[in-house]
Amino acid sequence: MAALTTKPATRPRPRPRYWRGVVALVAGLYFLGPLLASVIFTVDVPGQGFTLGAYTGILGADGFLASLRLTMELAVATIAVVFLLLVPAMIATRLAAPRLSSLVEIVCSLPLVVPSVALTAGFVSVLRWGPTKLSRTPFYETILQIQNPSFPVVLVLVYVLMALPLAYRTLDAGLRAVDLSTLVEAARNCGASPARAVLQVVLPNLRGALLNTAFLTLALVLGEYTAGAILGFTPFAVWIVGIGGSQAQVSVAVSVLSLVLTWVLLLILAAAGRGRSFRKSRTSQETS
Amino acid sequence: MTATLEFRGLRRVFGSTTALDGLDLTVQPGELVALLGPSGCGKTTALRILAGFEQPDAGEILVDGEDITGVPAHRRNAGMVFQSYSLFPHLSAADNVAFGLRMRGVGAAERRKRAAELLELVGLPTHGDRFPHQLSGGQQQRIALARALALEPRVLLLDEPLSALDAKVRVSLREEIRRLQLELGITTLFVTHDQEEALSTADRVAVMHGGRLEQCAPPAELYDSPATPFVAEFVGTMNRIPGRTGSDGTVEVLGRRLPLRGEAKADADVDALVRPEALDVTVGGDARVVTASFHGAVTRLTLALADGTTLKADVPSHRAAELPAGAAVTVGLPDRPVLVDDRAR
Amino acid sequence: MTTASAATPSPAAAADDLGGGSGGAAIAPPTRKKRRRSTGWLAVLPLLLFIVVAFGLPALAIGIGAFTTSDDAPDPAQWTGDNLRLSVHGAYLTALLGSVKLSALTALLGVALGLPLAQAVITSRFRALREAVLAASGVLANFGGVPLAFAFVATLGNSGEITQLLHLSDHGWSLYTFSGLTLVYLYFLVPLMVLTITPALEGLRTQWREAAQNNGATARQYWLHVALPVLAPSLLGGFVLLFGSAFAAYATAAAMVGSSVPLITLQIADALSGNVLVGQGNVALALSLDMILIAGVVMAVYVPLQRRSARWLR
Repeated sequence: MAALTTKPATRPRPRPRYWRGVVALVAGLYFLGPLLASVIFTVDVPGQGFTLGAYTGILGADGFLASLRLTMELAVATIAVVFLLLVPAMIATRLAAPRLSSLVEIVCSLPLVVPSVALTAGFVSVLRWGPTKLSRTPFYETILQIQNPSFPVVLVLVYVLMALPLAYRTLDAGLRAVDLSTLVEAARNCGASPARAVLQVVLPNLRGALLNTAFLTLALVLGEYTAGAILGFTPFAVWIVGIGGSQAQVSVAVSVLSLVLTWVLLLILAAAGRGRSFRKSRTSQETS
Repeated sequence: MTATLEFRGLRRVFGSTTALDGLDLTVQPGELVALLGPSGCGKTTALRILAGFEQPDAGEILVDGEDITGVPAHRRNAGMVFQSYSLFPHLSAADNVAFGLRMRGVGAAERRKRAAELLELVGLPTHGDRFPHQLSGGQQQRIALARALALEPRVLLLDEPLSALDAKVRVSLREEIRRLQLELGITTLFVTHDQEEALSTADRVAVMHGGRLEQCAPPAELYDSPATPFVAEFVGTMNRIPGRTGSDGTVEVLGRRLPLRGEAKADADVDALVRPEALDVTVGGDARVVTASFHGAVTRLTLALADGTTLKADVPSHRAAELPAGAAVTVGLPDRPVLVDDRAR
Repeated sequence: MTTASAATPSPAAAADDLGGGSGGAAIAPPTRKKRRRSTGWLAVLPLLLFIVVAFGLPALAIGIGAFTTSDDAPDPAQWTGDNLRLSVHGAYLTALLGSVKLSALTALLGVALGLPLAQAVITSRFRALREAVLAASGVLANFGGVPLAFAFVATLGNSGEITQLLHLSDHGWSLYTFSGLTLVYLYFLVPLMVLTITPALEGLRTQWREAAQNNGATARQYWLHVALPVLAPSLLGGFVLLFGSAFAAYATAAAMVGSSVPLITLQIADALSGNVLVGQGNVALALSLDMILIAGVVMAVYVPLQRRSARWLR
């Protein structure tokens, strides 16, 4: 039996949590350092002292607006396609055919097994079939069209594939938080047709998950380099690398801005989304 | 072997909530004391302070006269059974039970032997190799109990161990806990919000309210002689009958003048507190039977007095036939001192 | 604890179809059930078609191409194992091993660093900090590539700020090496680890810690005998996930090192842009197949680990 100490009552002092401060410090240095250094790099040009030329030069830089516009268009298209493909499928399977939802899950996890480089390699091969094997079929024209540099649909295809796993997981989490069948039944009970039930009851409840998915997809497309570069187009990330050779300051400035912008967007999103669910799930400590 | 437990002037405040407001309680060796009260009354806080998971703002805890308030939790040797989810999921039942021994550095063979003994003691000798997720709630709590006893603690702490279980399992398990406790003769503190649990298992019940001890007494005394109105109403069912105190230590209620039990303001409007089984119901009068509810040996009648007061009265079921719903009855009181409380709104 | 609802849908264990939660299958008229099923199929059809075309075709191309002689080879097209053989020899083998080495090292470091960081964040008293860090991790884990590479070039590159400040190049430091790349990879791997391990850490019930203390365990013993063993599946799962991420990364390396560090992703990209020996065009596809196989193994290990830890840490 453990012998209890016979010290008179001394309350043990709460151990000061040094280790947390150390961890926070190191992490802060590592994650914020490069950002800070980048900013300094962009404003401190050797021979010119402090100047904001890198940032003001962004708008005028050759190809900046074009590549940004292209990327945003591709992003919008990707988000639209992802929603059109996933949202009906996930809602319908959850309500009507639960067995199919495993199929949807598997299908959406397939792209995870294929690294983007490999996927791009596959796409390159298929595109090469155009002039070689399919030159006498109507597919030839299709293959040419999807590679149209002003709006390469092929990139949308690649982006959608890359976004599927993440989008699935986000929408799945959102759907789990909502008692779907009860909501729909309640709506039907009040006289709504199935379509109206989904549009006016389910979707508003999924707003958080849908926004989340949209933003994460946007972040993905903005940052995507592999497919764009290998397939020979110039979306945003490819442009940044391209200009890095000639105007280092500008390329770093753009990188910093895009990183900060995405960060801000996602923080806002996180705060809005978590704030709602957070308040619901917090339970106070029992003090009895 | 088994210890005396004492709480002295325990105080604990969480932010703006006072969880404990000066708790004084002594538990004798081998006694099972139930800490009973509604949620928020401080009973779990008191237990956790004893176990070492919380520090009191003021006051002491003494085990066998030694002040253990400054001792860290892992050295207190006060075996505790939590409400739920406390078994380590990655260990088998036997390994869970032997965990404390392993922390002490006891050898593997000795640990196995001891774990087997304890599993036998709680009635699960063949379940040693099962994992927590393969056990039912009741079985998990038995393993938790075995684990708490493994280090031969001087005190056993039970934090609402049955609340998360099904009703039937609850009854059988509480009887087992009591049986084990008596067999081992270990000083035990049992926290619960279920009065039936407390009254049926404990040697003494400490009723707590708002961080203070209202009364600590054997179950029968608690029931028959509640010290405060809170205890009277919390334990069992209690009727409130409007009456008026006189200036001579009596109270007028239901047309009779009876002596007062305890203190009360003179010449004031009060409610008399009377148990359902103490009311005497006879046919004929200006009260009415509203509903009757069959409870086996007794039938509980809901009565309405002429002035609108609702009462509950227990009558033997064989008399229920003469007192159907709607019947006119008279309600009488026994010739005993009456406990009163300020008139409720 | 008795297992609760099927929170982790498994491809293998499909739930029984009771049709949208209303009534038993035996009671619902067969036409209604059939109509619901067909609605389900209808809704899934676009998705399936898309996958078949956009994913199936490239996958097919890789599968066939890896085993076919290249178009620009002197011999006519035929089935051959040459591509695969070549893909694990010479420069390609170096690249493959380089990728595996880099991924393993960064994954290990990512786990070792991500765990204390996650623990520090969730035990913090500031709720806002926790939310902010998790949101930040979400961004950093998925952002990747080019901006990251450039930020580091601006910091620790040959003319980077810190390099100049501390005269690092005089001490032999170069960002464009294996170790430099490791440092950069951690920037998105550590947040990924934090995201993965945080739910597991939060799943560590306080009762376990208290029960351990109650049984005489010191803080060290608690971590050694309870917390780490319970977290083990999640930690392993995290390692595997990080490995997969690092292994598949391309943009960062491409934007930074060019070909000075041998990595398989860089090799494939080179091969695709024609930077290969004549007659070996399809080796790129063989290399892609290698990558897919490795990624497949990674997933096959990750999923059961994930299940196990989810069960314990519900």
